[in-house]
Amino acid sequence: MSKVIWLFSFVFIVIAGKAQYTGYKPLADAGSFKEQFARASLQTNSIKSDFVQEKNLSLLSEKMISKGKFWFKKEALLRMEYIEPFQYLMIINNSNVLIRDGQKENRVNTKSSKLFRQINDIMVDCVKGSALANPDFTVRVFDGKQAFLVELSPVAKNVKEYFRTILVTVDKKDYTANSIEMNEQSGDNTVIHFINKELNVNIPDALFAIR
Amino acid sequence: MRYLLYVSIFLLLFSCASPYKKLEKTVGDLSCVQQFRPVFTTAMYNAQVDVVGNHISGILLLKTMPDSSIRLVFSAKTGLKFFDFGFTRDSGFKVYYILRQMDKQPFITALRKDFELILLEHTAADKGYLLTGPGLHYYAFPQEKGVNYYITDPACHQLIRIEKSSRRKVIVEAIMEQYSNGLPDTIGISHKNFNFTIALKRLENNAAR
Repeated sequence: MSKVIWLFSFVFIVIAGKAQYTGYKPLADAGSFKEQFARASLQTNSIKSDFVQEKNLSLLSEKMISKGKFWFKKEALLRMEYIEPFQYLMIINNSNVLIRDGQKENRVNTKSSKLFRQINDIMVDCVKGSALANPDFTVRVFDGKQAFLVELSPVAKNVKEYFRTILVTVDKKDYTANSIEMNEQSGDNTVIHFINKELNVNIPDALFAIR
Repeated sequence: MRYLLYVSIFLLLFSCASPYKKLEKTVGDLSCVQQFRPVFTTAMYNAQVDVVGNHISGILLLKTMPDSSIRLVFSAKTGLKFFDFGFTRDSGFKVYYILRQMDKQPFITALRKDFELILLEHTAADKGYLLTGPGLHYYAFPQEKGVNYYITDPACHQLIRIEKSSRRKVIVEAIMEQYSNGLPDTIGISHKNFNFTIALKRLENNAAR
């Protein structure tokens, strides 16, 4: 149970498989998109950003907003630091995960858990741009005015239990994620908006250190 | 050896004596504890739960619904919902959602009783009685099993602690401190018969209000 609980403490869950999305239409040439996406991903070595997380409780018509800072560095270094209204830190350093919550710290090696590894891959893939090749999902791409919408539907049973879909909006200018929307089986969703993005800035490795 | 046996029996009996036995029953206004009932439209708490070696942290959202029932939703800080419970004013309880891994009846029952304790459910004045002890008043409300005690200073101005007790011993102890606008800033719940604690610290609710 412990592993599962910690998994849920950093997992982001997903949404309903809508057939259509307002403002988007199915992309005719997904191959071209994938090619451009892959090319842009190759040129993105790091991302520094602020984020706003919006948790929507569908039945209660309530939103819970939290804010923080985000760093990503190739190949698989990721740091999410929630600053308000609470402090919470998550670092992914390849297959290692650190979660610091107040005075408590927990370290997990994702090699010891298939589901952990899958979740780890999802998070890094969504940011890195390699989600399109993740075999744990079927992918559909939609075309909008300023962004592409990538719909990830889980295939693996253990992931599907928690995730219905993950929607990633991809900026047409630089092919980086503007937002990640995770839709839960319960009908709730969590949307992370990335703002003030800076690409290819120098980020010290120490930020991702798990000691 | 025989004396040792007597002493052991005496100690056993003594240790089983109710901690409330020496308190005196008296007359008083039982409705005074209602001032400690948390009042909110929505409230958000940083929650730390430790249960038999597992640590769960998250955000607890409390919301009073238009029909005056209370919804209590616990989510991970990264968003995933753990559970969603409803408490109605007629003492009803409903599980709207719970994650499969947490869907264990003893866990749900313990959570239900704990939150009923801090929401001052089942505290009708005509069903309770008042006990007094050294410097403390015990507002007692018998439950289906055991008694819930809201322990205050003699003037009933301050809630010192809350106890849920069986016939012989305290099984849950809770605190609600630093009230502001009808809501405690800090809530703590500690089970005495197994390792289960809940610590809540109020967060500024920047959600839609």
